[in-house]
Amino acid sequence: MNIAALPMMILIATAVVALVPSLAPPGRVRHLGPPLVSIVGLVAAAGMSVLLWGDRQYTFYGAFRTDRLTVLMTLIFIASALVTVLMSLREPATVDRRGEYYSLLVAAVVGMVLVAGTGDLIGVFLGIEILSVALYVLCAMEVWRARSLEAGLKYLIVGAVGSALLLYGLTFVFGATGSVSLEEISDIVRVRGLGGEPLLMGGMALVIAGLGFKASAAPFHMWVPDVYEGAPTPITAFMATAVKAAAIVAFLRVFSGALIDVVDDWQMPLAVIAALAIIAGNVGALVQQSFKRMMAYSSIAQAGYLLIGVATGTLLGVRSLLYYLIAYTAMTLGAFILVAIREREVEDGQSIASLAGYGRRSPLHGVVVTVCLFALAGFPPLSGFIGKFMLFGAAVEADLTWLAVVGAVGSAVSVAYYLRPIFVLWGEDPEPGNARTFDPGDGLWVASVLAGLGVVVTSILASPLLDYCREAAQALIAP
Amino acid sequence: MGISLMYYLLVSGGLFALGLAGVLIRRNMLLLLLAVELMLNGANVALIGFSRHWDVTDGQIFALVVMVVAAAEVVIGLGLIVAVYRQRIVLDVDELDQLKG
Repeated sequence: MNIAALPMMILIATAVVALVPSLAPPGRVRHLGPPLVSIVGLVAAAGMSVLLWGDRQYTFYGAFRTDRLTVLMTLIFIASALVTVLMSLREPATVDRRGEYYSLLVAAVVGMVLVAGTGDLIGVFLGIEILSVALYVLCAMEVWRARSLEAGLKYLIVGAVGSALLLYGLTFVFGATGSVSLEEISDIVRVRGLGGEPLLMGGMALVIAGLGFKASAAPFHMWVPDVYEGAPTPITAFMATAVKAAAIVAFLRVFSGALIDVVDDWQMPLAVIAALAIIAGNVGALVQQSFKRMMAYSSIAQAGYLLIGVATGTLLGVRSLLYYLIAYTAMTLGAFILVAIREREVEDGQSIASLAGYGRRSPLHGVVVTVCLFALAGFPPLSGFIGKFMLFGAAVEADLTWLAVVGAVGSAVSVAYYLRPIFVLWGEDPEPGNARTFDPGDGLWVASVLAGLGVVVTSILASPLLDYCREAAQALIAP
Repeated sequence: MGISLMYYLLVSGGLFALGLAGVLIRRNMLLLLLAVELMLNGANVALIGFSRHWDVTDGQIFALVVMVVAAAEVVIGLGLIVAVYRQRIVLDVDELDQLKG
């Protein structure tokens, strides 16, 4: 028995223990217990993961593999979950069901870690389902608000269809190869030369569709704006970052990992989906009046950029993808934190108009969001620029120049809608005495600072981070 | 000798297609859940078929896992439907239009 699965075990224990303090009578323990337990558990799991950075270790008879990719992804998930916990401290959804809320949040992270480290197809499906089922509930957590319920139901229906497509696809991959183990599938595909085999092709098409739903890539993105707008804002931020990362790592494990020898069969469909997501996301975001909804469309476009890295099927592509994923997580969280703050301070806080003059009143949040939006738009020298630049470069190197062009044009278009909130933010305040309804609380300040620091650190420390990302990519692709 | 793989796949494909058609056509939330269950069970039949074809137990274990997951999903679905019903929102998905733009 080795300790390679310990981070996941810690997270499972955290999810259970987080429920306990909510049994206490109303008061400090009940209020602060669950988030505190979650934070301690998440930090402990992150620390344990860092210690496991190294060569691949197997647990559960090969069903779970801890390699550098698993560790890197686990840290991304945990970082996103930690910021979400801080954002949620005063969220209305958590008021009288704190235990359930934080427990489900940590349970979703367990599913993500399982996806990142899975050694077989069963783990891919099971992990995706654990995180999806937890999030269906979290989306609908504000049961008294019709929009939140509607978001939960829509996510449930669309997510369940996506899961069914994914499952049928995985079934066909198993049917074509006769094994569920990703490493055995990789060998079988290489030895038997299964390129062009109809069963495998059908399976891959269905897996792409199923994971496309989860990663919110076009043309499977119709649900995204509605669900992202209706869900509690911290959960939206969590979905836009960690859930997307989990779907992307599932793509990596199945396609870039196990099916790398039939790259010619899946490269074009993935490239087309990436291009469609970039177009649909950027065009959709242009006309939005709601900041939250604009960020939803933006996250569709960002899924497209991330999928470029998968579509290349090269070490360089995966390395750039992983770096961009880290950068993207920090900048998107920063943008959503502002939504969470404004939502509590004013009515209609989701709209871009409600940001008017906010930068002058609250310079810290203003600066953080400005940096995040500049990074999302891809201004040098910020991390968003470095990541996109490398992704497009990897696409050109993999003979997907047209995809790089689509990405670059989409990125240029995106400047228009990312800059609009910044102008409004630092512009004149139309009605100075804007009534505050809720105090946002200290959690959001900490979260905001963390996200801002994340963007700055990923920009400054780009080269060491890229080295780590290369090692993680090697763990995936090199034998 | 048992039943050949082709029959498994025919039944499985039929179930899956029925489920998919149901999701696309039906507008009632409960029937949508039912249709999704059909899709998952269609996949289960294929898993068992492939498992016999290759003479390995992997597919059967996968099918067991799928059953558990499907049950969990339905529980969440029914819970949400009850919550929606309490809020007196209609169960017709076309009427769920508070979120758009």
